[in-house]
Amino acid sequence: MDLFLHLWIMIFIYSIFAMSLNLEMGYTGLFNFGHIAFFGIGAYTSALLTLHQIPFALAFVVALVASGFFGFLLSIPSLRLRGDYFGIATLGFGEILRMVFQNEVWLTKGPMGLPGIPKPILFSYRFATLPQYLLLTMGLTIVTFLILRIIIRSPLGRTLRGIREDEIVLMALGKNAFHFKIKSVVIGSVFAGLAGVLWTHYTTFISPGDFTLSETILVLLIVVLGGKGTEWGPLMGAFVLIFFQESLRFLKLPTEWGRYLAPLQQMIFGGLLIFLMIYRPEGLIREKGEGR
Amino acid sequence: MSYILQSIFNGLLAGCIYALFAMGLTMVYRVLNFVNFAHGELIMWGAYLLYLFMGDPFHFPLYVALIPALGFTILLGLGMDWIVFKPLRRTNRLTLLIAALGISFFLRNGAQLFWGAELRTYGFEIKRGWRLFHISMTANQMAIILATLGCIIIVYLLLYRSIIGKAMRAVSDNLELARVTGINAKKTIRFTWIISSALACVGGILLALDTNLQPGMGMINLVKAFAAILLGGVGNVWGALWGGIFIGLAENLSVLFISTGYKDSIAFGMMVLLLLLRPRVLYGSQE
Repeated sequence: MDLFLHLWIMIFIYSIFAMSLNLEMGYTGLFNFGHIAFFGIGAYTSALLTLHQIPFALAFVVALVASGFFGFLLSIPSLRLRGDYFGIATLGFGEILRMVFQNEVWLTKGPMGLPGIPKPILFSYRFATLPQYLLLTMGLTIVTFLILRIIIRSPLGRTLRGIREDEIVLMALGKNAFHFKIKSVVIGSVFAGLAGVLWTHYTTFISPGDFTLSETILVLLIVVLGGKGTEWGPLMGAFVLIFFQESLRFLKLPTEWGRYLAPLQQMIFGGLLIFLMIYRPEGLIREKGEGR
Repeated sequence: MSYILQSIFNGLLAGCIYALFAMGLTMVYRVLNFVNFAHGELIMWGAYLLYLFMGDPFHFPLYVALIPALGFTILLGLGMDWIVFKPLRRTNRLTLLIAALGISFFLRNGAQLFWGAELRTYGFEIKRGWRLFHISMTANQMAIILATLGCIIIVYLLLYRSIIGKAMRAVSDNLELARVTGINAKKTIRFTWIISSALACVGGILLALDTNLQPGMGMINLVKAFAAILLGGVGNVWGALWGGIFIGLAENLSVLFISTGYKDSIAFGMMVLLLLLRPRVLYGSQE
């Protein structure tokens, strides 16, 4: 039963994470390959604040603001770049942020990580047990889903999709594409931060090793597999992939296999990404209007 | 003073290696018009393949092991083009880039599966270097400089003194026009991958000689190579050379001011600075 609850908590956290990337990549067409950075900022901010006895509600808000702010900072120089350059710039940002977590030992305790992160308390209600935490993540997943759905269906969403299809045309229509892309990254970063907060208070221990490229690849794969540019795609992708990943963990495989199993699983993810791109780039769910 | 001189020397050394990475990356960019995210993995596999052929079943000496290492890296480069990039040539960029990232991830973990995540070296004993103008240098480091010079001369001869090099430059200027004039584009693209992979392999080996081997070495050097090609002007082979040397110097001199833990982030910092100060550099080569 605990396994089942754990599975669903992870699926919901990754759904939020994937939905945030989907806004940037699926709808706006931005190649954010360092999305884990914002997940990490959210996670570390909230963890550090609550460890210093700051109430969760406040830490939560600060963490989201911090993620959005860093998204804003990163997007100013890097969104001047054409697609692939933005990809490398974000990739680099992700790697550097990990270096910061690792090197600023006075703040983050470096590679040792932060243990004992408290469970969240909201309105003097403590989300300590698995079912309670599941309710919290589920609730926030629904909130994220609805907010992003409103954004996507609003004029803003249409503009973002327009930028993806043809930036020049949008600019000719008098839209400042640069500003809209910044908005997309900031909103995406805030929700990535939200996923980070939920994750950090769930595992209660974080270290720089949790925020590597592998996580970015996983969430990228979730979005691509589920169907980028669709409302339900990220949820679907998260369900399939997290189910696969987390159930491997509970198969009780001999520990000495671990050395081979982890890279093998990552190879499968990499291979799946290549396979999908060649044979089914639209993923499981196809975006409306793309069915040609 | 001698410390600064030594830092400059080390910077030039690292710069030589980054230049090799950047030249290969920019060549593929020029001809195929996309950033090969898996270039770092060619670097890493090149270095590991040498390790393989010098290691257990083979025990080749360095100079012999170089040949199969180079050969297999080139095959890897050609293979990724043939299996993945070729079918995707006409799709949109996002698809192409995600696929490239997928290859990168696949190959990186492939190396980790075989060799594990730990640091490795080629196991040469460290020889005492000699001193010249207060700078100490080892035989390995001399070899790095000579090998880089050799590669640069070969690239120059291939690009500017051979028919295929001329074809390559033509294809990168205008693919359609080159086709019309009877240039075999497929052959040219293949040739580009061969040079790019060979440069990555040599660079990776030199880097591993100077430092060590590790599956993560590809990704971080991809970012550096990219910063180098941005500095030098995208698609410009000689610009990439200077960009690489500049990054190497900046990295090693930065250690005088900031913690060594951040050495690898200098390239990224320079990239951001460049974009903030001179975004026009990039707009020039946008299409």
